[in-house]
Amino acid sequence: MIEFQNLKKVFESGGQQVAALNGIDLKINKGEIFGVIGFSGAGKSSLIRCVNWLEKPTSGKVIVSGHDLMALSVREIREVKRNIGMVFQHFNLLNSKTVYANVAMPLTLAKLPKDEIKKRVHELLEFVGLADKANSYPDQLSGGQKQRIGIARALATQPSILLCDEATSALDPQTTSSILQLLKKINKEYNITILIITHEMSVIREICDRVAVIEAGKIIEEGTVFNVFSSPKTPTAKNFVSTVMNDQIPDSIKEVIEKQQGLQKVFRINFVGNSAGQPLLSQVAKKFNIDFNVLFGNITELQGTPFGNLIVEFQGPDSEIRRAIQYISQEKVSIKEVTTRAS
Amino acid sequence: MLVNQEKIIEALIETIQMVAFSLLFSAVIGLPLGILLVVTRKGHLLENLVVFNIINSIINIFRSVPFIILMVAIIPITRLIVGTSIGTAAAVVPLVFYAGPYIARLIENSLLEVDPGVIEAAEAMGATPGQIILKFLIPEALSSLVLGFTIATIGLVGASAMAGAVGGGGLGDLAITYGYQRFDTTVMLITVAILVVMVQGLQSFGNILSKKIRRR
Repeated sequence: MIEFQNLKKVFESGGQQVAALNGIDLKINKGEIFGVIGFSGAGKSSLIRCVNWLEKPTSGKVIVSGHDLMALSVREIREVKRNIGMVFQHFNLLNSKTVYANVAMPLTLAKLPKDEIKKRVHELLEFVGLADKANSYPDQLSGGQKQRIGIARALATQPSILLCDEATSALDPQTTSSILQLLKKINKEYNITILIITHEMSVIREICDRVAVIEAGKIIEEGTVFNVFSSPKTPTAKNFVSTVMNDQIPDSIKEVIEKQQGLQKVFRINFVGNSAGQPLLSQVAKKFNIDFNVLFGNITELQGTPFGNLIVEFQGPDSEIRRAIQYISQEKVSIKEVTTRAS
Repeated sequence: MLVNQEKIIEALIETIQMVAFSLLFSAVIGLPLGILLVVTRKGHLLENLVVFNIINSIINIFRSVPFIILMVAIIPITRLIVGTSIGTAAAVVPLVFYAGPYIARLIENSLLEVDPGVIEAAEAMGATPGQIILKFLIPEALSSLVLGFTIATIGLVGASAMAGAVGGGGLGDLAITYGYQRFDTTVMLITVAILVVMVQGLQSFGNILSKKIRRR
């Protein structure tokens, strides 16, 4: 649906060349919700703007719905843009126009007949739950309502791609969640491919199917949300994951234990899917002559699959611990020794 | 008092005519120039630094010449266009040279206030540059544009009074020939009072209109 091939974007700033995108290769499939996460300045804004040519790449290819944008004329690109909706962080609505006129704008530009526009706009306002606001002005709406109008406007021309540029970054957590649910609904009901860029890992966790981590203009990690969240490889990805999935031993607990006798054998156990429902630890405790001290535990749902995370101290003879670990490894869980300092 | 009521009304009508016509022509010239100044600048819709720099310099040149000198300097052009350099019609020409570039600057200022995000949204929708100017830039800046035109109109009222000094007619002419040169303080006071009322009225009207557009 969207494909980037060795995409580069170089900005000229004060005689210096700054590479915003440094060779991006990425493929976004039809019908999926794809998230790109990165710190500010990582290049994610430039990346999403290359999809609808708000920024022209310096080199490389952008292929949207089979069209190589580099090869198209300005007029042809305008046509492609009608197939791409975009939602902005700061909504970018026209304050001088009513909600109705804002949503109707893309259709007015496309010179559709008036009655058709009217029908479509009312449909859209109904869909985003703001049918009663047609005659209001944007400055009379809350942030969440403005974004709903932004979404309705982006969907007006029935695009097959929706670009979300930090669409929830200016909203409070509750509103964010409702906007994300709306995006999910759009993806399901209209089978629209959604590309989201964000710096909030919670957005990725909540609605994305796949995710790419961008840093210094490069994709440094890519995969399903489940894989990236359960086993991030790069430090940046780990950093992002840790913002939403706390898997560190709380400092206060660390202190208590270190004061007592110092931790002996600490392990991190990750449960995935069904294994999260099994009473594994109590089985092990019965089978082997060891005790457990659970230091930390949580469970998160990733794309509908439960993902558990336990940090446990094993107390007992070394030989028993070794056997217990061997036993645990045979189950569908991963176990890894950690030290308190490194964890 | 050396003049009668009719003479004052006649002068008032001349002033209104001068201001109205010169405003109309200045707007016709200033509006496109103002828009060009915005859209041809670096990083904008139709970036074209050659066009931008040319328009920018020409406007600066006209804006830096004092009106009283501008008026005399362009007399040949005035003769060419109107056929004479004296009278109300002839005063309109220098007034347009004065107010056109001024309006272009005011429009430039108003349009630059428009949130770049709105333009980005327009581009994302696949709007053409023409559509972006007409359906996004101007409507979003309208309230501010109205205030700009109010300032320009008031500027023209003042300048038209000065045009009276070179035989342009109107209230300025009256004030100078009777009030100043013939020491008729009453005429002077009346003309000044009329000008004050005009300016007050124009500013209030502009404010109300702008507010109405802004709806706040």
